[in-house]
Amino acid sequence: MRVELENLTKRWGDAIGADGVNLEVDHGEFVAFLGPSGCGKTTTLLMIAGIYKPTAGVIRFDGQVVNKLAPKDRNIGMVFQSYALYPHMNVFQNISYPLKLKKVPQEEMRKRVERVAEMMGIGHLLDRKPAQLSGGQQQRVALGRALVKEPQLLLFDEPLSNLDARLRLSMRSEIKRLQLDLGITSIYVTHDQVEAMTMADRIAVMKDGKVQAYDRPEELYDRPRTLFIAGFIGNPPMNFVDVEVVQVDNTFHARRQGLDLPLPADRGEKAAQDRPVIMGIRPEDVSIADEGIAGEVYVVEPLGRDDLVDVQINGAHLRVLADPALNLRIGDQVKLKINTDKVQFFDPQTELSLLWN
Amino acid sequence: MSSPQQSDPVTPSGQKAVLVGHGLALVGAVMALVGFYLPWLGFVGGRGLVATLSGARIGAGPVIRLGENVVVFRGSPTSYLVVVAAVIALLVVGLAFRRRRLTGWDGLTLITAGLLPLLVLWGQFGAAQREAGKVGILIQTQYGLVLVYLALLAVFAAGILHVRNYSRQNPSFRNTLGAYAFMSPATFLVLVFFLIPVVLLAVLSLTDLSSANFGEPWNFIGLENYRRMFSDRFFPKILGNTIFYVVTTLVFFNVGLALVLALLTAHINRRASFFFRLIWLLPRITPSVVYIVMWKRFTQVPPYGIINQFAGWLGIDYQPYWLNEAPWVFVILVNGFVGASFGMIIFTSAIEAIPKDLITAAKVDGASTLQVIRDITLPMLRWPLLFVTTYQTLSLLVSFEYILLLTQGGPGLYTTEVWALTAYKRALFTYFGSNQWAYGAAWGFVLVAIGIVLSIIYLRVFQFDQLVQEPKIDVL
Ligand SMILES: Nc1ncnc2c1ncn2[C@@H]1O[C@H](COP(=O)(O)OP(=O)(O)OP(=O)(O)O)[C@@H](O)[C@H]1O
Ligand SMILES: [Mg+2]
Repeated sequence: MRVELENLTKRWGDAIGADGVNLEVDHGEFVAFLGPSGCGKTTTLLMIAGIYKPTAGVIRFDGQVVNKLAPKDRNIGMVFQSYALYPHMNVFQNISYPLKLKKVPQEEMRKRVERVAEMMGIGHLLDRKPAQLSGGQQQRVALGRALVKEPQLLLFDEPLSNLDARLRLSMRSEIKRLQLDLGITSIYVTHDQVEAMTMADRIAVMKDGKVQAYDRPEELYDRPRTLFIAGFIGNPPMNFVDVEVVQVDNTFHARRQGLDLPLPADRGEKAAQDRPVIMGIRPEDVSIADEGIAGEVYVVEPLGRDDLVDVQINGAHLRVLADPALNLRIGDQVKLKINTDKVQFFDPQTELSLLWN
Repeated sequence: MSSPQQSDPVTPSGQKAVLVGHGLALVGAVMALVGFYLPWLGFVGGRGLVATLSGARIGAGPVIRLGENVVVFRGSPTSYLVVVAAVIALLVVGLAFRRRRLTGWDGLTLITAGLLPLLVLWGQFGAAQREAGKVGILIQTQYGLVLVYLALLAVFAAGILHVRNYSRQNPSFRNTLGAYAFMSPATFLVLVFFLIPVVLLAVLSLTDLSSANFGEPWNFIGLENYRRMFSDRFFPKILGNTIFYVVTTLVFFNVGLALVLALLTAHINRRASFFFRLIWLLPRITPSVVYIVMWKRFTQVPPYGIINQFAGWLGIDYQPYWLNEAPWVFVILVNGFVGASFGMIIFTSAIEAIPKDLITAAKVDGASTLQVIRDITLPMLRWPLLFVTTYQTLSLLVSFEYILLLTQGGPGLYTTEVWALTAYKRALFTYFGSNQWAYGAAWGFVLVAIGIVLSIIYLRVFQFDQLVQEPKIDVL
């Protein structure tokens, strides 16, 4: 099913939940809503589900306006962070509830529930009450309940947030696999950018009720259009340094005290302004080298595979991913090499990218 | 999670439900206002507050006379001052208690705090009693009782302090003290207000004590009172009345209406539902005498009665005294309107405690509003439902004050007389001036026994122990 949101807005008096959301989700696509807490992800999702009535704007399913359609008529499956299993029903009753409401005959209902339960690996738990299940099992039941009526649209509201890190990882790939196999259009709300990057075909980055960007994950990562997106996407987050970009002879240089970086011509040309700009550079694009910019190690955070090293250069801080074998200590003098093919530039006033707008 | 269902219904049918909710709320509000407060404002034939209270003497004294034969004891300004002083004194002592330092002064404050209200009340009760003696019966001592309870509390606190001081000097006593200390207030209440009276009642019911042989030595006459009770010509009638009264009021109002109200108010917007609930609480917080006076006004013959006033406007000529016409209807309405608010509050809070996600999930799963109520809300209200049913059965069983004030069990012979009312009348209220205390005690004791048996059955059948959750932390 194809979903289109046009200028979708939700207000409660002065409080704004969603503010003119525009986007379309293609048939079979997996889209993530990504953004910090309170940015309107759940609000938008609940409007799509028909629980909230939009203050303004239009929701279309396959071209049909569904604003006035009751939730029960939208053929949607939904999975919640809280699982939202009915505590007084056992697993079988929970999963079969949507079918019961559709008046599916007993025999067919049993078959379909068993098939879904088998698919989710919870076939042996059908007699249990939700309180007798682990968090991961409960989430599988919730997923089963959402899938059993073969919905045309799946909505996920931070379904993995309550699970421990390892389970989250395996459920992540499982949900993705399932979605691919079944080909159901899906919208997945999360504030975990790794989840969004790994699972989604496209990501809608939200802030203050507005969609900041809506694009493929690689695009958002390599070509962030705003400072917010650049800072929000990527882990560890991008470094930002105030610089001046000047032209010396035929090359452009990014300069500040203790730093003079020759830039590739295409980026340098766009970044050259008559005032200071913000330079962004990801930690993995900076490396410790024999030659380069001189700095002093300020903090070392071991991450296991890498050390995240905070290097101070004349008052500016750069986080760098370094080889633990270097065994860096606080106070060590180091030299940094920056991959200038990957640097980003932003206008400090508008916070828009100077490269991609 | 405790916010009400703020989800905006999207469907036209949802909007209709909201409209119906608002409409019903409005009707309820108007009804309550008309029924309870307009008579006071001179709505009927220019007779208002003054008329209703005609003959009322509202002074500084502890007693208000309402009409011909009703007296309300309300306590005097002095008594309120004394109580305020007592509370302050208690606070002072409480603080000293927290500092773990008690002086002789604290003891003195305590004694004052404990005894002064008692003394004042003693005098005032006397005045009230005398006043009541002049006009008939004494009703409505609730304000006075509050004072008595406060005074008892003060004395009780003094006792605790003593025990505490004692335990400080005796460590072995101290170790077991905690358990007793936590149980003691409840034990005290049960003992003084239940066990002792029940034993007295049982003993009394085996005697021939009455105002006829008062002053002479009284005799134990075995089960004679019980034999007399069960062979009373009106015994079946009274039993039937009681069952009818309890079951009908319970099903239609204390549980039924309460549930409907809670569900309705959960589906309308927050401010409207608050107002609506407040209105349904009015009957409960209105003093019973006033409440009944209003209902009587409601049902009067022309030109006083409000029902008949409306009937007149509608051109209906049949305008009887409705209370005589349909006594049960009003007995049940009067009790039901008060009783519904208890369940309503319990159900409302239980409904609001249902996680919003569950409701959302059910709607997305394809449930209509009614199906959500049937499949999610009601099953999750199971315990509150059982609790309210149990509690209200017992309290209806022993309630009689509204019936006494409204119909006195009439009209005619035993038409609306219930068990508790019979017990009261036999013991304390007769047309011929003879108080058959012992015989009344027999009626009362059987009622208590029924109550206890019912409680045990409820506890068993509904497995109340399951209401008490297993502790999350294992006790080591
Ligand atoms: N019923 C409501 N009444 C008033 N304001 C609301 C209501 N529901 C949400 N909001 C406001 O709308 C904004 C968006 O809320 P929403 O629940 O969509 O955030 P979210 O992106 O899902 O956040 P989180 O990641 O914490 O779940 C918040 O500022 C919130 O305070
Ligand atoms: Mg949310």
